[in-house]
Amino acid sequence: MGNEAIARGAFEAGVRVVTGYPGTPSSEVIMTFHEEGRGLPIYVEWAVNERVAFEVAYGAALAGVRSLVTMKAPGLNVASDPIVSAAYSGVEGGLVVLVADDPGPHTTQTEQDSRWYAKLAKLPMFTASTPGEVKDTVKKLFKLSEELKLPVMLRTTTRLNHAVGEVVLGEVEVLNPRPSFRKDPPRFVRAGMKWNLERHIWLNNVLARVEEAASKLSFNSAEGGGDHCVVTEGVAYTYVKESLGWIKDIDVRVIKVDQIYPPPKAFLRRHLAECRRVLVVEELDPYLESEVKKIAFEEGLKLEVAGKEEGLLPLEGELNPALVREALSKWLNKNVGGKPTKLYEAVVPERPPPLCPGCPHTFSYLALKLGIARAGFKLSEVPIFGDIGCYALSVNKPIEAIWTEHSMGASISMAMGLKIAGYDKPVVATIGDSTFFHAGIPALIEAVHKRVDLLVLILDNRVVAMTGHQSTPSWEVTESGRSARRIEIVDVVKSIGVDEVVVVDPYELDKMVEAVSSLIRRPGVKVIVARHPCRLMEVRELKTIRKFRVLEDKCTGCRACVNVTGCPALYFEGGKVRILGDDCTGCGLCARFCPYNAIVEEDGG
Amino acid sequence: MRGVVNILIASVGGQGGLTLSRIIAEASVIQGLSVRTGETLGMAQRFGSVLSFVRVGERVLSPIFGQGEADYLLGLELVETLRAVGYLRNSGLAIAADEYKPPVISSLRPAPGWSKDSVARTLKEVLGDRLLFIPARRLAVKAGSHRAINVVLLGVLNASAQLFTHRVVEEAISRVLHGKAAEISVKAYYEGFNLYRESVGEGCRGG
Repeated sequence: MGNEAIARGAFEAGVRVVTGYPGTPSSEVIMTFHEEGRGLPIYVEWAVNERVAFEVAYGAALAGVRSLVTMKAPGLNVASDPIVSAAYSGVEGGLVVLVADDPGPHTTQTEQDSRWYAKLAKLPMFTASTPGEVKDTVKKLFKLSEELKLPVMLRTTTRLNHAVGEVVLGEVEVLNPRPSFRKDPPRFVRAGMKWNLERHIWLNNVLARVEEAASKLSFNSAEGGGDHCVVTEGVAYTYVKESLGWIKDIDVRVIKVDQIYPPPKAFLRRHLAECRRVLVVEELDPYLESEVKKIAFEEGLKLEVAGKEEGLLPLEGELNPALVREALSKWLNKNVGGKPTKLYEAVVPERPPPLCPGCPHTFSYLALKLGIARAGFKLSEVPIFGDIGCYALSVNKPIEAIWTEHSMGASISMAMGLKIAGYDKPVVATIGDSTFFHAGIPALIEAVHKRVDLLVLILDNRVVAMTGHQSTPSWEVTESGRSARRIEIVDVVKSIGVDEVVVVDPYELDKMVEAVSSLIRRPGVKVIVARHPCRLMEVRELKTIRKFRVLEDKCTGCRACVNVTGCPALYFEGGKVRILGDDCTGCGLCARFCPYNAIVEEDGG
Repeated sequence: MRGVVNILIASVGGQGGLTLSRIIAEASVIQGLSVRTGETLGMAQRFGSVLSFVRVGERVLSPIFGQGEADYLLGLELVETLRAVGYLRNSGLAIAADEYKPPVISSLRPAPGWSKDSVARTLKEVLGDRLLFIPARRLAVKAGSHRAINVVLLGVLNASAQLFTHRVVEEAISRVLHGKAAEISVKAYYEGFNLYRESVGEGCRGG
């Protein structure tokens, strides 16, 4: 897998510090180290958020130690503050920043094109097209980072991170770094404005050397000849190559750009000078396209450049081989690859990922809705702010709980904003444990300090569940086996000085309904910590789970069970509810809400 | 074998679709073939629709392919198989497990008038003799666990496509799974393979 290849590349490069925050599609890089790297002298840990992760890796790189930090695209936004400053101060040891974009999008709130960040931060950025290539790219970037004394960014997309392919393993560099750090305020203190100006000049001078330094490590390539040229990068290159395999009679030159920023001007000038017509094939924004047009303008090249701005490829969504063939067909005015022979387009109901059977978040949101009603409010007048994590799936039918899902930690601060704007009904923020640690704490401080009336539910399942069960600061031993100090959410909340805090187990539904209905009417910041382990993890540790069955003569097919719980282990066939035995985790929520007692626990359960 | 064989695995998150694509990828590497798979991972896919693209051949670059381009559709669940039918090329073969896990939305009021039989019937109508309907759960349980439904389909696939030797498949399974799960999966693979050989026959449908 691409992410395994990235981990392997960093390992071969002698990396000593690896950190990041979980985020699809980037998570498996660190997970690979955790699975395969036990006993190695490498610090591999999840950090509390991406900016902390970057700063930890950056601190290590200052000491001359090769470091890797990983994140998904929105994580780069979180880390951008220290990253932009790091371009002025630079590094001693190689520092590679992996940012995994998600064209599609498959699992991300936006289709952010992080290539623009390299331009903004003035940091070199590179990409690769296949798992085999990206492993070597990582190794080269560590070298380049040390030669330039700058952090270097590796930008990937889902179809590289999660693509599986052949990877040829290489030698592991033995570096034995001796960490050292020399005091040098003009370089490392960004409080001196004269120094900052000097470092900016230094940075621009380094950027001017990037292409030459990178070319020694062999980035960027061109294949084929003729004056019809396709400029491409990343995974799109694989679609281009396979599509051109269909064309026999026209020679098309393929210009593959690995160096995203600064653009490899000499390389592009050299090859574009041979071209008459250029098609730019890239994912997301017309980034390369604008660079190609700029170079053509600067060089006075008579080029006909086409791409996204000309409508040959879409500005949204991810590319695929069919879209690329279609674009090539239009561009070359010939049929490339023939029409796919589709059999049938099926119309079937969508299957968005639901909350899992027995998920404590299902209980929590149910208790919240029941509690709001019991307190005498309408569900339509009490906004429930959501946050990033599994619990955002509560937006789907039938639970339909959250009104917003925006960015890490935003539930609390956005809820506060609504309240201080004068909204006169109760407002609720719901946030997961890891998201609370990541970005919810400053927001809670803000709400407490300004004495806002707010109910905050912290959904504490003790794990970063959505991205594959990574550790949180509440763990006492991390994935690497490292002994860690447990940070208790309740302690943090109390120390901030909230007006009231209650800890409940959402599985005790009545107690949680009671807590919601009493707290929601009271002034101040009230926090309910709804604590129950992620059911998927809990079931693995339980020796037995309760088994339920349906009494067919009692089931009327009223669907109350599934309409209340939205449980994916329930379905209807022949007018009766059925339980998928493989998937049921025995939580009993459906049985509780069956008005006819038609779902019962099996004997001996 | 043609240049590249495109395989699409359609499943519900948690059924083992990703494990299956990984086993096929490992088998390809052991067999000395080029391979790419494309999919989206993460718990977000639990109980959601999951598509895994697998491409095996002499030289493969792209991790995904488009609609109407799959040579094989491996359906671990009937609704997902039907959803993915558009990916099959008209000479392709669908290998569908008789598993039924309808999406939550289709169990809510108002009732959609939708059943295992109706989904299976639609598939048969659409695909005709390009559909192999596999009693995968029965065979997987016979091999030791319902969790091996995915590998039963691999057995059927390999009997039809003849991509890998048995030894290669066994080695690939042992690289991806361990202990009892690996043992059961090897048995389940042969259950699927033999089912194809016995019921469809070698001459009946060319690989």
